[in-house]
Amino acid sequence: MRLLVIEDNPELGQLLAKGLIDAGFQVDSAATAEDARSALMTTRYSSIVLDLGLPDDDGMSILQEIRGKKDPVPVLILTARSAASDRVKGLRSGADDYLVKPFAFEELVARLEAILRRPSNLVGSSLQLGNLVFDTASRQAFINDEPQYLSSRESAVLELLIRRRGHVVSKRLIEDEVFGLFNEIASNAIEVYIHRLRKQLLEHGATVQIHTIRGVGYLLAEV
Amino acid sequence: MQRFRANLRFKSILGRIIFLHVIAIGIICILMPLLLYWLLARETDSLHRVAMRDHANMIARNLKQGPGGGWTLELPRQVRDLYSDTYGRYAYAIADDAGRAVLSSLSDKGLIFPVLSNPSSATVQQETHGEAVLSGISESKEIDGKDITIQVAENLRHRDVIIDDIVANFLQRVGWITLPILMTLLVIDILIFRRALRPLMRASSEAQRIGPSQTDVRLPTDGLPSEVLILVQAVNQAFDRLEQGFHAQREFTADAAHELRTPLAILRTRVDTFPETSISEAVRKDVERMSRVVNQLLDLAELDTSVIEPCEETDLQSVCADVVEFIAPLALRKDKEIALCSCEEPVRVRGNREMLFRALRNLAENAIGHTAKGSTVEIVLDADGTISVLDRGPGIREEDRDLIFQRFWRGDRRQFGSVGLGLSIVARIAEAHAGTVAVENRPGGGAHFSLRLKPVSSGRASSKRPSYAAKPESVQTEHQGTDPSPKGSDHHRAGR
Repeated sequence: MRLLVIEDNPELGQLLAKGLIDAGFQVDSAATAEDARSALMTTRYSSIVLDLGLPDDDGMSILQEIRGKKDPVPVLILTARSAASDRVKGLRSGADDYLVKPFAFEELVARLEAILRRPSNLVGSSLQLGNLVFDTASRQAFINDEPQYLSSRESAVLELLIRRRGHVVSKRLIEDEVFGLFNEIASNAIEVYIHRLRKQLLEHGATVQIHTIRGVGYLLAEV
Repeated sequence: MQRFRANLRFKSILGRIIFLHVIAIGIICILMPLLLYWLLARETDSLHRVAMRDHANMIARNLKQGPGGGWTLELPRQVRDLYSDTYGRYAYAIADDAGRAVLSSLSDKGLIFPVLSNPSSATVQQETHGEAVLSGISESKEIDGKDITIQVAENLRHRDVIIDDIVANFLQRVGWITLPILMTLLVIDILIFRRALRPLMRASSEAQRIGPSQTDVRLPTDGLPSEVLILVQAVNQAFDRLEQGFHAQREFTADAAHELRTPLAILRTRVDTFPETSISEAVRKDVERMSRVVNQLLDLAELDTSVIEPCEETDLQSVCADVVEFIAPLALRKDKEIALCSCEEPVRVRGNREMLFRALRNLAENAIGHTAKGSTVEIVLDADGTISVLDRGPGIREEDRDLIFQRFWRGDRRQFGSVGLGLSIVARIAEAHAGTVAVENRPGGGAHFSLRLKPVSSGRASSKRPSYAAKPESVQTEHQGTDPSPKGSDHHRAGR
């Protein structure tokens, strides 16, 4: 997983590089648009972290060049610009995500993982929260290294929850992802799966818990 | 001082002009009849003098000195009667050069007036003879080589009745006409003033439109009278300078907040990438708090400049869901919950999605900050475009309810690390969408904020909760409590 971090502030650039290396990525840094262009010419990156305010050019023009070459490399914009119009412009120009400074570092890692997890970027890895581990390749869940026996749909729901751990997974997303758009499902089907998952987590001493966010969806978090 | 007081009393030029005008007209109302009366009296006097002189000339023509030195006056019969005692209106007397009376129509055959050393027909003399008040002149004449003085007078008691009446009754009968004339003039003047001030009024109403987001408005200079034009041009120039200042200030706020983001990002990343220590969490919280202020300042700066496109449509249902998703992790970290109660049907309003998200996010963050631990903040969306945010906190004191929507208001709500910008952002966004935001206290404790927006008319036609009608079989299970259905909080709706 080689990333290109284009950030003009040397301190932030170093910190990002260090943090991302610690998180298991390989990182190249560029402080100017010129550096970034030469790096992009020689290396194929899995993802690009792009700061919009660069000393010699606007980061947006780098994004446009990348997309102009029909390069689908996932781009995460990292910027101090938060105006609604900037965000819309960034996403319309082909950015995959948009993160406003300052940000929690784990948020950056989570978002990078999210955009890297697109079909073309399979990440064979396991997801972990507390003592719950989910292996995305085998779709097998473990609590305290003890494999759990879950139905395929229960696993699918749990995978969604653990992928977006700490964030709300909407009921509609679960319906769409787990049951497909065209399958008629009983309206309480999701509640049933959640209920079973909760029971499983509780019985096997998991240190995670599924919260209900009434009216919206569910959230998996550590107890 | 007097001027200053007049300035205070009259806020409008029109009022002041009318007031001064009324005073002027009042004075004229009194002075004009007096002046007319005086002129009339003078004219009467002059007529009197002329008549007296005619009498004196007529007598002089008919006066003859007899052979014995005695004087005879042979007046035509119809004239002679005028001087008769019975008629009593006119009188004459003739004095010789020694001042003795030689002829007189008076019963005592004496002079009417004492003989003056320098008699002149210009001087009107007046003398009382018993009942009669005689007013007239003395005229020197030379007849047959002798100097004599002819005195003629009119008894004022028997004066010409018509002239007398005109003079005496002038004020009463004729003088009043000046009042309605002047009043009519006053009304016409007021109309003229109003018309003349109309361009000024137009300029004033234009000036009222100028606000923080409309600093480019300038007062119209078309059709303004030249006196006001100078003022308006000066004001417009002042507006230019103000706008520049305002822009500079706005840009400074935005730039400053913007510039703070990178150092904050460095700080935050440093804390996040360093090994966890006891102070990491505290520093992280500090950074979050500072970031919040910076974000709010930028939001406000953006709001001050942005114009909501009237054609944009936003679905409040999805905005509410996004906000709840956004806030839920924060709420759970604080041992609090957040729930959304709405139909699944879209509620479409005119407005900018991002702005409405920010408004609701601020309301939700505020509610999470103040609701009691273990309690739930509820966001209730009604099909009429009203979003209610209900918490179980201390509520808002009656006297603070308007203040909380002002910038940097904080009251005793500082424990959330807020600088009091959040609710002012909500108020600004509501205002920009021609909506309202209000707060009241809930029965049972807590605050109830309501953000009202105008629904797009076509969306309004849909029934209040069509989703339940479409899925009747779901109703049974959705009552069961732990599921994410909106049904569970129906009692809150009823309670309000």
